[in-house]
Amino acid sequence: MIEVGRICYKVAGREAGRYCVVVKVINSNFVLVTGPKNVTGVRRRKVNIMHIEPTKHKLDIKENASDEEVAKAWQKSKLLSKLGIKVEKKTKKKQKEV
Amino acid sequence: MGVRKKRVRTATKVVIRKVKKKPKIAKCAVCKKPLHGVPREIPSRMRKLAKTEKRPERPFGGYLCSECMRDYFRKVIA
Repeated sequence: MIEVGRICYKVAGREAGRYCVVVKVINSNFVLVTGPKNVTGVRRRKVNIMHIEPTKHKLDIKENASDEEVAKAWQKSKLLSKLGIKVEKKTKKKQKEV
Repeated sequence: MGVRKKRVRTATKVVIRKVKKKPKIAKCAVCKKPLHGVPREIPSRMRKLAKTEKRPERPFGGYLCSECMRDYFRKVIA
């Protein structure tokens, strides 16, 4: 079930409750996962498979894909609206007038 | 805040020390187990603590323990 492109759901840790995509399977316990950060708020990191729950959806990305490729795959798959993921727009920090 | 009297043996004599009572430990809302990462402080000291020192930085931090939080999210995704 946990394979490259699989969309999972983080269950533990600060990013619990957010979706993420498996980018590379490191070994039987660890997996490289990315949101990417600007899409689902999960940064590219190594995660123990105990801390994620697989869903039935899958994105077609190749192994070790970069965050841009994963973001494009998200757009193409139109799963963003289906899973109800709100993509936070980048709010410009107000530059302090010096 | 209540005060508890404690008998302390100093060098010359036995002294009654006044020790402040602390509030009870925070408990998980579901399984009632004690919560980690939540200090047991009297309100005046709690206010001095920074936000991250008062509860863990997890969803439901300080309200649900980590196991109950995982069960919650597992139910949501199922």
